[in-house]
Amino acid sequence: MSNRASELTTLSIAEAGSLMARGELTATALAEAFLARIAAVDHKIASFVTLTADRAQAAARQADMEMSQGLTRGPLHGIPIGLKDIYETEGVLTTGHSHLRADYVPSVDAETVRRLKAGGAVILGKLATHEFANGAMTPDQPFPPARNPWNTDYQPGGSSSGSGAAVAAALCMGAMGSDTGGSIRNPAGFCATAGIKPTYGLVSRCGIFPLSFSFDTAGPLAWTVEDNALMLDVLAGYDPNDQASAKAPKVDYGASTHRPIKGMRIALARTWYEGNLTADMAKGMDEAVHVLRDQGAVVEEVVFPDIWDYHICGRVVITVEAHAIHRQEVIETPEKFGYTTRRRFQLGAFLSAEQYLSAVRFRRKLQVDTRAAMRGYDLIMAPNQWGPPEIFEEPQEIFHFLGKPSLSMPFNVTGQPALTVCCGFGSDGLPLAFQLGGRPFDEASVFAAGAAYERATPWRLRRPTL
Amino acid sequence: MTEKKPPTLEEFRARAALTGLPLTTEDIEHLHKGYAGLIALMERIPTRWAWAAEPPHVFRADE
Repeated sequence: MSNRASELTTLSIAEAGSLMARGELTATALAEAFLARIAAVDHKIASFVTLTADRAQAAARQADMEMSQGLTRGPLHGIPIGLKDIYETEGVLTTGHSHLRADYVPSVDAETVRRLKAGGAVILGKLATHEFANGAMTPDQPFPPARNPWNTDYQPGGSSSGSGAAVAAALCMGAMGSDTGGSIRNPAGFCATAGIKPTYGLVSRCGIFPLSFSFDTAGPLAWTVEDNALMLDVLAGYDPNDQASAKAPKVDYGASTHRPIKGMRIALARTWYEGNLTADMAKGMDEAVHVLRDQGAVVEEVVFPDIWDYHICGRVVITVEAHAIHRQEVIETPEKFGYTTRRRFQLGAFLSAEQYLSAVRFRRKLQVDTRAAMRGYDLIMAPNQWGPPEIFEEPQEIFHFLGKPSLSMPFNVTGQPALTVCCGFGSDGLPLAFQLGGRPFDEASVFAAGAAYERATPWRLRRPTL
Repeated sequence: MTEKKPPTLEEFRARAALTGLPLTTEDIEHLHKGYAGLIALMERIPTRWAWAAEPPHVFRADE
C-alpha cells in the first residue's frame, strides 16, 4: 500500500469527515484505500466474511456526487463501515457465522443499516462473529474465526470479534456490534478500540438476529470515543418496530465529547475487581483513575452489589431466552450448530419458569440497588477485562461463564450505557481497557469522560502492525 | 431457587428425556456439568419474593 493510502485508513471518522467537507478527500479515495488494505492484510485476521466492494464503490461515488453538489448527510457521509454478520442487509448474505443461515439473503435492511445508509455511510461488508452472537469460535463453522490484530496468536474477544479486529486493523473506520453480555465491549477492549453499549432501547434491534430479547443491545465500535459518538448520532432514535425502543430526546453526542469533565463525579467499583486483575490491568486501572482525576473529575470508591450477582442474573436470563429463540432449530437440526453453540442453546431447556422469573425479579432488584449506590455520581468506572484475551488455539470452555464473572454484565443487567476505553498496553503488548457506565440515556456524560481521557493519553497513536 | 442440590447424572438423564431435545450421550454429560455449575451460582438469587413482586416485563394493554 502507498503511504497516502495507509494514512487514509488510520484517519478518524471526525478527521475524514472534515477533509471531505473541505473537498480535500473523496469518499471514493477513502473506500479504495480501505478495500486495498482489506485485500492486503485481512487474510491474516479473517475479520470480513463477506466483502461488498461493488456496492461500497457505488455508495462512495454517490456520496462524492452529493457532497460535490452541497448535500451533506451528516458525520458518516462517505465513511467506510463494517457490519457484524447478524445485521440483516438487503441483497447481501447474512449468516450469523452459522451453517444454519449459510444461504440467507434478506430482502430488507435492519433499521440500523437503513439509518447508516441514509446517513451516507459506505458499507464495506459483513464481519465475523461468534455464531449467533453467542457460541465460541470453533472449527466446525462456515468461516474461519477472526484473530487479534495485535497478536494473531490470540483471539480478538467476542462475540463482535470481526468488528473489533477490523477497526483496530484499520480495515474500516467504524463497525456495528451487538452487546448482550459484553459482546461489544469485550472485543473493543481486547483490540484497543473504543466501543459503546448504549442504553437498552436507545438503538433499534429490528433486523438484527436476536440472542436474548431483554438484554440485546446494538451499538458501534470505532477507533476513538468521538467516532463512537458520531456513529451514535446517526444510529440512536425511536423505532416502532422494536418493542424495546425508547422515545428518548435527541442528543448531540458528537458535541458531548468536547465537554469538560471538571467536577464530574465518578464512582469506582473497586470491589468488583480488587485483587483479581492481572498486574498489567491493575496498573492500567490505577493510572486511568489518576488521569481522570487530573482532568478534574472526582473519583471515589463506591460499593455496588457483588459482581457475581449481576453475572448469574444475566446468565440465567440469557440462557433461557436464547434457548427459546433457537429451540426449534436445536431440535430439528442440532448438527448444524457449532458444538459449543449447540450446548449453550440446549442448556436453557433445563431451567424452569420459576428460575427464569426469579432471575428477572432479581434483575429489577439489582437495577434499583445499583441506582441507589450511584446516587450522587455521574458515572461508574470499572475494568473492562481481567487480563489478556484467550489464546487462539485454545478452545473456549463450553460453559465459559462458570469461571470468572463477567465485568461487562452489570451494565447489561441494569440496561445502563457503558463505554470501553483503551488504557494502554501490557508488558505482552496486548491492550488494556476500562469501562465507564452512565445513567440510563446519559451517553453524553460517558462520552465526555471517555474523550477527555483519550485526549490526555497517547494510546490512540499506536496501531497494530500486520 | 427451588433446586438446591444439583441432580446426579442419572437424574439429569431422565430429565433430559423430557425436554424434547435430541441429545447425544456427550451432550448430556456436558449439559449436566453446565447445569450443576449454574445451579451452584444460582444460590445467589433470592428464593423468596413478595407474592406481588412483579418482574420488569410489564405487559401494557395500550401498546
